[in-house]
Amino acid sequence: MTALPGFRSDPASRRAALTRLRRGWPAYLFLLPTLLLVGYFSYYPAYVAITRAFTDWDGLNVPNFTGLENFQRAVSDPVMGEAVQHMMIWVVLGLLLALVPPLLVAELIFHLRGGRRQYAYRTLFVVPIVVPSLVLLLVWSSFYRSDGLLNGLLGAVGLGGLRHEWLSDPDTALYSLIFLGFPYIDAFNFLLLYAGLQAIPEDVFDAAKIDGATGWRRVWRIDLPLLRPQLGLIAVLAIIGNVQYFISPLVLTSGGPGYSTTVPALLMYFTATRDGEYGYGMAIAVLLLVVVVAMTLLSRLISRGTR
Amino acid sequence: MSAGPGRSGFTPGEAVRQAILVLLGLLALFPLYFTTVNSLKSPVQYAENLLNIPATLHPENYTLAWNQIQGPLLNSVVVTVTSVLATLVLASLSAYAFALMDFPGRHLLFGLTLALLLVPEFLTLIPLYVQIRALPLPSNYLALILPTIAIGQPFAILVLRAAFEALPKDMLEAARLDGAGHLQLLWRIVLPIARPILISVAIIRLIPVWNEYLLPSLVLDEAHRTLPVALVNFQGGGASNAGAPNYGALMASYVLSALPLVALFAFLMRYYIQGVTSGGVKG
Repeated sequence: MTALPGFRSDPASRRAALTRLRRGWPAYLFLLPTLLLVGYFSYYPAYVAITRAFTDWDGLNVPNFTGLENFQRAVSDPVMGEAVQHMMIWVVLGLLLALVPPLLVAELIFHLRGGRRQYAYRTLFVVPIVVPSLVLLLVWSSFYRSDGLLNGLLGAVGLGGLRHEWLSDPDTALYSLIFLGFPYIDAFNFLLLYAGLQAIPEDVFDAAKIDGATGWRRVWRIDLPLLRPQLGLIAVLAIIGNVQYFISPLVLTSGGPGYSTTVPALLMYFTATRDGEYGYGMAIAVLLLVVVVAMTLLSRLISRGTR
Repeated sequence: MSAGPGRSGFTPGEAVRQAILVLLGLLALFPLYFTTVNSLKSPVQYAENLLNIPATLHPENYTLAWNQIQGPLLNSVVVTVTSVLATLVLASLSAYAFALMDFPGRHLLFGLTLALLLVPEFLTLIPLYVQIRALPLPSNYLALILPTIAIGQPFAILVLRAAFEALPKDMLEAARLDGAGHLQLLWRIVLPIARPILISVAIIRLIPVWNEYLLPSLVLDEAHRTLPVALVNFQGGGASNAGAPNYGALMASYVLSALPLVALFAFLMRYYIQGVTSGGVKG
């Protein structure tokens, strides 16, 4: 055999490990740039984050080991408690917003007649992706201002009594951030669900029709159970995404007024960049990591258990 | 791909469905409409009416906006294009090795790459910031480009490896017998065939890179600032700022910052849709 070094040979042939290692050199060369970059810019910072959570790291000096002190502080900190509550509200409501509107639109489009019409509407709901996410945040913050669009509309329809300083009133600030982005049709989630519907075999629908399952009944009994993998993926990504999300409170409210829009991830960011308490910030990050990993494993377990 | 049972026709149900979709579609497009019409208004026109198309247009808002964001716009293009292209090049090399080459540690290294999908970005953000601040780099752009390439690797490798593994083996075998080396195979055969997938990966990755705010706001100096960072500064901080900014110019800068994506999606929208709907893709 005059194979080129490093080529994948058929699995039956066994060679000495040393020869394989020597012949593998082109592969290692191909992998080298990636490995260097992820090693230095992904693995090493993750290692630093986890190990420094147990220290009094201030970002400059050599850190001292302080054991579980940071974690005890995080657990007993009342601001952290408040932040966790906000995060839980955000995760629950965010889950509904990630699932329901895209599902509604996917179902409506899928049951239109004619592929052309479906294609046109599908394109329509992907177009808003051209708006940079930060622009959407800033435009919505202008909607929420006292002289903004939202108060203007409320006044116009005779609900002037509901006018608010949406982002600077502690009672409405958190919900204003969570419900930013109406009508919440995320292009990625919508496309995923739409593709899931397309993958359902035609004869399943035919059988459902014979059984008399039409309209909402069919959605409930046929579509939703068969869309479980897609719904599950969107749910996990939404939960994980919202546990770590803190851009809108950072940019629009700085976590305020008071602590009314502070979430743990924002607290992590501020304790490090503003207060210089990097060690404590990393402890919060590690606690969030535990939540994220637990969620991922839990979803794997659930999807495996029901398969 | 015709959906659902029945003949093509116009029933009451179909009319209701289309009406709801049109309404939702208009609402989804509303921020685009809002920024565009208000970008052409004077402050007085803006205060009078937020929804109409102004009677007299004020295109000079765009001159003002352009002066503010031309630097950041260019920075964003440089950073985004370089990172996405480099992500593709490095991920293609790695995916080729994982898919078509045999070497000890293949499964281990692939596992290590995939495990990075579990490492959330908020965990590494602060250490990266400290690490990069202390790193002597020839250009401040690299402070953002290098970590961005690293963050993009797991997703790109995962998708490209699956695509390379599905290539017909006979063709690769034939080229190999003709004496082609690995790089030649990759460049002449594998990449041309996989081009639609490469474009899909590029455009799916491009969106978050273009939108990235946190890391750029920490590691870039003022001269290398990207658009999202500049827009936040231009606006002067959300609710904390009581004074009314010049909304016309502000909205004009939003429109300008969306234009590159508009141009891109006008040509490559179907690659995005195909990429997401072909399954197994994590955003």
